[in-house]
Amino acid sequence: MVVLEARGIVKDVGRGRARRRVLDGAALRVEAGEVVAVLGRSGSGKSTLLHLLGGLDRPDAGAIVLAGEDLAAQGARALARMRLRHVGFVFQSFHLIEELSGRENVLLPARLPGAAPGGERRAGELIEELGLGPVAEHRPHELSGGEQQRFAIARALVNDPELVLADEPTGNLDAENATAVLGILSRLTRRAVVIVTHEPEAAAIAVRVLRLEAGQLVEAAAQRR
Amino acid sequence: MRALAAQVRRNLSRRWRRAMVTTLGIALAAAMLSAALVLADSLGGGFDRAVRAAGLADVIVRFDPQSYSRVADRIRALPDIAGFATRLEVTDVDIHAGGHGFGHASAEVVGSGRRGYAIVAGRDVSGRFGEVVIERGLADAWGLDVGSTLLVRGLGPLRVVGLAEAPDDVGFPLGVPRLYISRAAIDARFGAEANPAVSVAELWLRDPRLLDQVLVQARTLSFGLHGVRVITRTGVRVLLDQAAGIVIDLLVALSVFALGTAGVILAASARAEVQRRLQELGVSRAVGASRGHLVAVQLTEAAVVALPGATLGLLAGWLITAGPTERLLTLLNEPPAGSGLILPLLGGWALSVLIPVLAVAVPSWSATGREPVALLRGAGLAGTAAAPGAGGGGPSRRRRRPGLALLGARLLGARRGRLVATVVTLGVSAGFVLLLLALASALSALQTDPGALGKRYQLTAALPATAAGRVRAIGGVAAAAPRYELEAADSYSLGETIDVIAYPGDHTEFEAPALLAGHRLHGAGETEVGAGLAAALGLSPGSVLAVALPSGAELRLRVAGIVSSLDHDGRVAYLPAAALLAGEPGAPEVLAVRLAAGADPGAVTRALSALGATPTPASGAVARGVPLVQTLRSILRAVAIVDGLVCLYALVQTGSLTLSERRRTVALLRAVGAGPAAVARLLAGVVLALVLPAAALGAVLERFVLGPALAHLAAGYATLELRAGPGQLAAVLAGLLAAGAIAVLATTRRATHESVVAGLAGA
Repeated sequence: MVVLEARGIVKDVGRGRARRRVLDGAALRVEAGEVVAVLGRSGSGKSTLLHLLGGLDRPDAGAIVLAGEDLAAQGARALARMRLRHVGFVFQSFHLIEELSGRENVLLPARLPGAAPGGERRAGELIEELGLGPVAEHRPHELSGGEQQRFAIARALVNDPELVLADEPTGNLDAENATAVLGILSRLTRRAVVIVTHEPEAAAIAVRVLRLEAGQLVEAAAQRR
Repeated sequence: MRALAAQVRRNLSRRWRRAMVTTLGIALAAAMLSAALVLADSLGGGFDRAVRAAGLADVIVRFDPQSYSRVADRIRALPDIAGFATRLEVTDVDIHAGGHGFGHASAEVVGSGRRGYAIVAGRDVSGRFGEVVIERGLADAWGLDVGSTLLVRGLGPLRVVGLAEAPDDVGFPLGVPRLYISRAAIDARFGAEANPAVSVAELWLRDPRLLDQVLVQARTLSFGLHGVRVITRTGVRVLLDQAAGIVIDLLVALSVFALGTAGVILAASARAEVQRRLQELGVSRAVGASRGHLVAVQLTEAAVVALPGATLGLLAGWLITAGPTERLLTLLNEPPAGSGLILPLLGGWALSVLIPVLAVAVPSWSATGREPVALLRGAGLAGTAAAPGAGGGGPSRRRRRPGLALLGARLLGARRGRLVATVVTLGVSAGFVLLLLALASALSALQTDPGALGKRYQLTAALPATAAGRVRAIGGVAAAAPRYELEAADSYSLGETIDVIAYPGDHTEFEAPALLAGHRLHGAGETEVGAGLAAALGLSPGSVLAVALPSGAELRLRVAGIVSSLDHDGRVAYLPAAALLAGEPGAPEVLAVRLAAGADPGAVTRALSALGATPTPASGAVARGVPLVQTLRSILRAVAIVDGLVCLYALVQTGSLTLSERRRTVALLRAVGAGPAAVARLLAGVVLALVLPAAALGAVLERFVLGPALAHLAAGYATLELRAGPGQLAAVLAGLLAAGAIAVLATTRRATHESVVAGLAGA
């Protein structure tokens, strides 16, 4: 089942003379249960692509269809609702809220208006499943980088989204923690996962690896999970 | 220098929105300061200006009309007299002009020499008949000016040649309208009298320190003159200053508070701005910019932002308050401050610029003193935030599930210093607004409700004491008794007049002003005095009050108690009728009538009329002072509006600051699916964390600090019960919530307007 389909995405960044095109007709199709890695050098537009796919930003042209809805046609409220119900984000710098414990951070999306019911239960299951039970009540500054990223993954999954978007998820982690995090992402069944990274190790867990070149996505390799 | 200017210009053009908000805050603080300066300087110095302009006499003596030579001889016998003037004061004069009319005006027939009033427009009266000078209050109220015509019954139409201010009494409509006519003109028209009658003498002393001795002599020499009433310049000042002093003190306190508010907010804002720019400062330091240059840029920016704000704010504050202040001064017969305001306003302007610049200087100097490496890492300014997890240490305990509003409150709580400062600012502000509301309702009650003054009778009837039995027999009358009232003087200080009130029995059945000290009077030798009189004469329970009655007789009474009274500024004395009638057998009397509960006042009034009396309803203390109350209210309203704006600014600015510092948090929430409503909830949490404790703090402050302080301040004038009621508390809470809602809307709009991606990057 196709979860996400992007066609002919065009995106310019910057203003005036600094304006440049980072995406120029990029296309992507991701199915449920599929892990797709997008590789590219710094500044190639990987993160911009991820933001567009998750409805954090709007393309200048092209269509992005998520769960049967074209994101480009949605208003700000509807986009927020789409992100809440269908997308989970994992960021390189975790973005945990310092004032909240690990558990509260995980629960944050589940307590937003319009979130799917059962968030509390799912949060508990995810925390246990990711081995975070003993540190669930710790604040972010009391956690290791790996623990923080696992809480961030749990937060991304708490509303049971069809699509998980991970932006350099191992960029701030040591090798051991990076392996653990990639292991978690690779075990996400039923969901479509898009990882943008410049690390070949991260791409190793992907079923498909795409390379972002001159604003377009090209198939780099096909792998078996 | 040119590089500095160019950098400041670039910085401001990049951050023009933030600069505008800061300018607005400075403008509000400057408006508050300017309003307080205008009021304090205008009202505080009003009497002195009026005295200088009018050449007010040191002593003014009023008496029943006497021949000029008789009065002049006695005055010449007084020691230390530098000069004197006499005039005839004719009361109950019927005047008409411009569709208005008044039947109880006071016409002053003035002689040559000093006049004791200032001409503020046109010129003084000459010896030609047909000219009149009127007081400015009358001109303003009736729309008259120099050249207008005033019809004076008995004299015909007179041309207004000048407008005057005489600070020995309040102006029209607070007092009766006064007009000045030249004696020479009257003589020219009706024929000169060899020894004309006069009823007012104005005395100027060589050495005002000898006033008391002169008054003692005057009392001795006034033997044979009837109806002598003496008022001194000091007495006039006390009366006027007490009325305006409450307002001035209130406004000065408010301006200090507003300045503090602005200082706290601007300092927090400056600190946040410097914190936000640490990296930029680090880069500048790393590439060789000197600490002095960077601080100079920050200070120049602050000054450029503050200058228009301070200027506009000061002008706005002046514009808002100048009108009501001038009206109040006209009512008090005092001239406006005019150019005298320029210096204080310039000082206020300098302060309004200096405070924001200093608020930037300190964190800038502190930040730029750090190592460039530390700046590039974005190391926080010392004391900027509470340490993460402060107060806990180790694993945090399980907490209640955090709603978004609670999360907002926790985000705010991370900056504890600012949270406390803002709550205190808002709390004090709410306390002041509650105080203003309580003061306004106290004024209303005093104006309209005789019961608020302790008056328990509802009607008085001009009937002799012997009619009391017949009045008591009227259905609906609970009690009736003779009430005697006259104006006397303190034997030791003739400048202090006393309103003497007497009943044959227990006066508390008809008038029960609150007892502040001592006990109720028992027996013929005791008296209860008002707080105003006690303050003026230094009386306390057990002291002796010596009262000089109009007949010349003297009463010596032991002070049994001090009571709260607004009548005659609290200069009242209650005494037994027997004591009064012994010294003044002809004391004016009326019957005070107390109605039974549920009685129909109309029916009782009709029954009293049938007995041949003209019943008069008991009135509040300031029945004649309605314009004063209205003017005070308009001043209080202007202050409350500025105060409310300061609250709104504090809320919006705190919301904005929290938002600026928590851009990533808000962006993260939006990234995980929070829409505008969820962001609004988060910000509502921020605002509620400020508003709710502030409202509680405001209520406590008003109840236990501000209300009692103002009541104490006013104690010499009146006893005011300044406790905000539930309605007023609800109104202030609603106002704070409304301001909070505006703050939430404004900041939510800003938060959701920003790109999520930019917010996550924290760019």
